[in-house]
Amino acid sequence: MTADLSRAARETGEVLVVERLGGGLLELVARLPHLAATALPGTFAQLRCGQGTTPLLRRPFSVAWTQDDTCGFVFEAVGAGTRLLSELQPGDPLDSLGPLGHGFSVVDAGPVVCVSGGLGCAPFPLLINELRRRGVEDIFVLNGARTATRLYPASRFARPAVPVVAEATDDGTRGHHGFVTDLLGQALSSHPSALYACGPNAMLGAVMRTLVDSGAELPPTLEASLEAPMGCGFGTCLGCALPALDEAGSSVWRLCCTDGPVMAMRDVDWEGIGALPGADVA
Amino acid sequence: MSENASGAVDLGRGLILPNPVGLASGTAGYGFELDQLIDINRVGALYTKGTTVRAREGNPPPRVAETGGGMLNSIGLQNPGVDAVAAEYAPRWKGWAIQVIVNIAGGSVEEYVHCTTVLEPIDEVAGIELNISCPNIARGLDFGRDPVAAARLVAAVRAVTERCVIVKLSPNVTDIAAVARAVEDAGADAVSAVNTYIGRKIHRASGRSVLPLGNGGLSGPAIQPLALAAVAAVCEAVDIPVIGVGGIVDAASARDFLIVGASAVQVGTATFVNPETALQVLDGLRG
Repeated sequence: MTADLSRAARETGEVLVVERLGGGLLELVARLPHLAATALPGTFAQLRCGQGTTPLLRRPFSVAWTQDDTCGFVFEAVGAGTRLLSELQPGDPLDSLGPLGHGFSVVDAGPVVCVSGGLGCAPFPLLINELRRRGVEDIFVLNGARTATRLYPASRFARPAVPVVAEATDDGTRGHHGFVTDLLGQALSSHPSALYACGPNAMLGAVMRTLVDSGAELPPTLEASLEAPMGCGFGTCLGCALPALDEAGSSVWRLCCTDGPVMAMRDVDWEGIGALPGADVA
Repeated sequence: MSENASGAVDLGRGLILPNPVGLASGTAGYGFELDQLIDINRVGALYTKGTTVRAREGNPPPRVAETGGGMLNSIGLQNPGVDAVAAEYAPRWKGWAIQVIVNIAGGSVEEYVHCTTVLEPIDEVAGIELNISCPNIARGLDFGRDPVAAARLVAAVRAVTERCVIVKLSPNVTDIAAVARAVEDAGADAVSAVNTYIGRKIHRASGRSVLPLGNGGLSGPAIQPLALAAVAAVCEAVDIPVIGVGGIVDAASARDFLIVGASAVQVGTATFVNPETALQVLDGLRG
């Protein structure tokens, strides 16, 4: 099946600021009118990192939020591409191709639980904004990170009214001392209509395992935004295959870029995901 | 090089490309994604994803890895199979101005012949590109490395089609000119050169290969000088048209291939970075 790319377009925008949030988290704000007008929650943009041929490929980033003609992206300088983005100055051009990918199915009634691990915070402000626009008010964010400075600030998940954010850190420097999955039990007791998760694939697998092991009824809408090394981002290179389950429960490859990045958690082959080697970040 | 570097190109057997710029196999799917992103009908030719007798699921991930000025891929010829291409995709090419050339791959002469036979009655298929050079499947290079085997394959395909047959050559050989001469003698109408170079990247934290099968195929601007040397050697060896491919990112890097004797070019990996690259190359050649 051919992906619907009708919203995607390439545009050269302008960097407004690269803000240092602490702990290595960065928020890039850029004027990108097309992307701002067309991005849906969970979709992403392929951003060009520098003008040269190394790094060659664009890097995919969730559209974190939009406001008028600007967009925000949350990332960390971990490789050559993101380092170049981290060094951008106000006024620099930014080449974007997007919006791309299959986003979240946004529900019209709560309660809603958003589970974020590390940079998995990225798609949630845009999602929460859309949920609010649809009248959903009871939104609970579970936000986990390695340490306190790496927690995306609660105040940024939605403005002006901040949703309820419960935090967890691996080292106990803020909130619950442990993994974000430890907080799932209490969140499930509200019988959410939807649970959305984003974070490293291993963390997403842990979320699914925790949900299944809890024995609680799974939320009717249960979706995760996954990640994979990408070539093109628009379904032609076939490079970003991830193991999923077909209708018969057999493992098949699905493309992270066009079948995802948001997939129904029931349709993901979590065992297959768990067996993949770690990502190579350049 | 002809005076009009952007004019029509006659590849033989009635296949005339409206202009010399094509989209390389494996970087444009079957055209349906790029058709949504660019004015695909301004491009001269679409060389489809490698297509096999039966559907192939492709290789386990990770399938791509970035390198200096390039990328390695190990997709493993994921495709829906030639019957699905004929029944479901070909009707969607009806009315397209871009010439659709179906790239086919196989593990035996019979598989290539079968694919060609299935495609033969379809009006929307303008030509066949024989992929004898895929580094990412078992036996993918068997035909590409042996001039005698390559010639036998081309002769067998030649016998079942009236269409233009282009042979995509592997650079992973000692003497690419020898393979080019062999396929010309066996009845190929044109050759395209080159497919990807075999390469490897190490995940330095673990010491293992990034790509699970070890090696992949290297593409992108890093290979342009290598591809240029190979294409120059092929152009000296044969009289049939040569289509240059490998690391083209703009009109200047495309023109290099025309200078060494290629009649047409294909834009590959650069399309991933900027889907409009082929159109920019075309406009640049016209300018």
